[in-house]
Amino acid sequence: MPVLDIRNLTLWYRTRKGPVHAVDDISFSLEPGQTIAIVGESGCGKTSTANAVLRLLPKNVARYEGKVIFDGQDVMDLGNEEFRRSVRWRGISMVFQGAMNALNPAVRVGYQVAEPLMVHYEVDRDEAADQAMEALRKVGLPEDLVRRYPHELSGGMKQRVVIAMALILKPKVVILDEPTSALDVMTQTNIINLLKDLKASDRLSYIFITHDLGLASELADLVGIMYAGQLVELGPSEGVFVRPKHPYTGKLLASVPRLRSEAAPEFIPGAPPDLTAPPSGCRFHLRCPVAFEMCGWSADEFVEQMEAIRQTEGSKIPPISSMSVKSPTHLVIRPGENGTAADFAKALGSFSNENKEKYRFLKAIESVEPRTKSVEVKLFESSPPPYIGDDWRASCWLLKEGGS
Amino acid sequence: MAMSTPIGIRAAFLEALKTKSGLAAASMLGFLLLLAVLVPIIAPYDVVNSWNNPTVWADNPKLVPPEWSERFVGKHLPRTIIIPPDGEPGGFKRARVSYTSEGQIYTIVVLQQTFDFQYDAFPSEIKLYFATSFGNKSPLVHAYLERPDGQQILLFDDTPSLRVPDVNKFVPSDVITYSLSFPTFKDPSYEVFANIKSWLISKNVTNDTEWQSLYPSPTGFYSNPPRAQVLLLADLNHSMLDPTTAQVLKGTYTIRFVVNGFSSIDDANARAVIYGTVFGLVGTDDQRHDLTVALLWGAPVALAFGLVGALASVLIQTLLGAISGWYGGVIDEFVQRTADFYLIIPTLPILILIGILYRPSLYGILFVLVVFGIVGATTKVTRSIVLQVKEEQFIEAARSYGASRGRILFRYILPRVMPYTFALIALTVPAFIFLEASLSFLGLGDPNLPTWGRLLGNAYSAGPAIFYTFWWWVFFPAAGIIFTTVAFALMGYAFDKVLNPRLREQ
Repeated sequence: MPVLDIRNLTLWYRTRKGPVHAVDDISFSLEPGQTIAIVGESGCGKTSTANAVLRLLPKNVARYEGKVIFDGQDVMDLGNEEFRRSVRWRGISMVFQGAMNALNPAVRVGYQVAEPLMVHYEVDRDEAADQAMEALRKVGLPEDLVRRYPHELSGGMKQRVVIAMALILKPKVVILDEPTSALDVMTQTNIINLLKDLKASDRLSYIFITHDLGLASELADLVGIMYAGQLVELGPSEGVFVRPKHPYTGKLLASVPRLRSEAAPEFIPGAPPDLTAPPSGCRFHLRCPVAFEMCGWSADEFVEQMEAIRQTEGSKIPPISSMSVKSPTHLVIRPGENGTAADFAKALGSFSNENKEKYRFLKAIESVEPRTKSVEVKLFESSPPPYIGDDWRASCWLLKEGGS
Repeated sequence: MAMSTPIGIRAAFLEALKTKSGLAAASMLGFLLLLAVLVPIIAPYDVVNSWNNPTVWADNPKLVPPEWSERFVGKHLPRTIIIPPDGEPGGFKRARVSYTSEGQIYTIVVLQQTFDFQYDAFPSEIKLYFATSFGNKSPLVHAYLERPDGQQILLFDDTPSLRVPDVNKFVPSDVITYSLSFPTFKDPSYEVFANIKSWLISKNVTNDTEWQSLYPSPTGFYSNPPRAQVLLLADLNHSMLDPTTAQVLKGTYTIRFVVNGFSSIDDANARAVIYGTVFGLVGTDDQRHDLTVALLWGAPVALAFGLVGALASVLIQTLLGAISGWYGGVIDEFVQRTADFYLIIPTLPILILIGILYRPSLYGILFVLVVFGIVGATTKVTRSIVLQVKEEQFIEAARSYGASRGRILFRYILPRVMPYTFALIALTVPAFIFLEASLSFLGLGDPNLPTWGRLLGNAYSAGPAIFYTFWWWVFFPAAGIIFTTVAFALMGYAFDKVLNPRLREQ
């Protein structure tokens, strides 16, 4: 039985521009002793996922739903106070991003580590301090650290303190939110080894949130690749890192710089999409090197991309006086002066045929029909790609037949 | 960053001590604190009850500078000489004899004592106190001054009608006072001018016409009375008529009372005060108050007032600001709008009104000030700091491991805010000291306490000349206020330097 089973978890934030789809319909499950790495670019919703699991919500939550089944119980049904008392830290704890900031600078390390004990079990200070010493020993720190203040510690020591704090209530699941992001490589390795040891000795399950693929492959049994609030690929780490199914995973892996290699690391053109209005279809299609008809181009995106290439291609594109969007798959183009609609339709057709591989959005054109004064462009209908696979799942239209 | 912002009050304090301004402030405040603690020991005084009681100060000269100021003029200036009554050491010596002549009993009492006058200037005033007890008939009293040059001047003669039950229990405020320098009109001691005039004419020092022109008195009233203390103690020559040229006749003088009584019970006692022209460490004011006492007692009053006021109002404001920033929502709105309201209330006019209506004591003023300071600028500053701190990760961490909101406020947020609060307290103390001084200056302070502000107010209301002539009356209380406020301001700046990362030197 999985220790943690997350189904269709959704967390949207309310902003002035509209809801931010920070976590959109995420599902995964975790067996005891298993580690899942959640990998993705900055701002793709990794930390929001962690917060959604621990129910650490800001005030501007627009939507928060799904199931979080911990130890066979759907903890989403618990009230806030009950959740705080029975799940948070006792069942699922968290190691925060940037340990330097996760410690109260005004409290000695010992009491800081013992703070969850005092909060949850009302242990008196002396006993709490004893347990704190025990916890510090467990993460490989000297006991006399209990009397120090956080600012007297090095980054690695602080990170160990934060881990000790996460483990002090003996939780079953620990969320590691970029636990090593501010540390040097040697310290990173030490921390990862410590986490491995703890996992083996205490049968802990980790949700390891990182953007460092190397570390993820080091620690994780499962890897979830996150893009724009969604898990685009989820599978065993030996598989995902070696033979990625999703184009985004492939690009992500290719972007890691390698030692002793002349080749410059690749990058993914464009920027992550605005999560207040995520792209339709596959959310990666705008930056995808292999995107095609089905990937979810909308008329708005078509207009945007067309405007963009008019800057670069200029004269090759037949002159356009205006473009107007009629529906997500339907737009009307008015040709520029001294051109008839029929000529324009032909010119556009040939341009798109020639440049389809370079500007992949042109593949979305289903038909171009001249009207009296304008040209009507129909785009292919699309829907989000299905999530295909059992133990190794990915959502990409290219995977329809099971290949890659 | 080479150093991180120190954590906690103790660390901040130690760090602040390392800066120059912090060290200066600490030594200044240390001095003030020591003074405040020692004042009740070195100047034990029932200040509250004695400040407004003139008899306590009667033997001090009026409006004279401090003793050490004689160094500026290079002269040995006269100190106050007190000749106590008979019965006290160094007091008047009394001889009394009764005899009968033609069936009538007569009693003669002679009281005399010498004083040595070796100063380079004349006294500011001379007062003789005289007590007598007699039978049916008032005795006849003659008072004489015998000078080192052998001259003996009759000061006045009188038949006093005021009787005291026991001349040996001499209470200056209950007996007859003969003020030789400033007699009241028709006072028997008024004769001293006439007696001096006839003495000087008899010695050919002056003549009637010159005397009349110097001291015109067509109705028997002098608009510009002669200075008896100068004429009586000056070298006997023409220069003595002008106080600026008169030379002091140094030597031993004798004051003598001769009392002719008409019964066997007649007796008398006397006391004399020859007032100096310098006094104490700080001088005196127009009410003869010893300003040293006021200056010293001003220190603990100012310190206590400033510290208690600043501590109370800043701590309350900090707590409310932190609550406002941390809990947010309706609480935030309520606290902030109240703070806005308080900020536009004109505190000083309201304080003046309360001062006029109720004449509150020092504690009352303090209470009103704190009540008007429970929310204000510090609430807003603290709130803004808290808004920043509450986004920090350790707060989120605390929330995640289940710390309650109150626990986070008191264990996580307030300790982060306190060092700033400490700096604010140090900077607010001067504001309170100034406020108390302003109120006292306006005459609305505690009526029983001599505070620095009150001394300044008294000096100001005594007239504009005070500010130029009687510098000690203005200088010392002002210096006290400035010293204390600068000390606290320096302390605040030192804290600011330590706690404000932008001001820190790397």
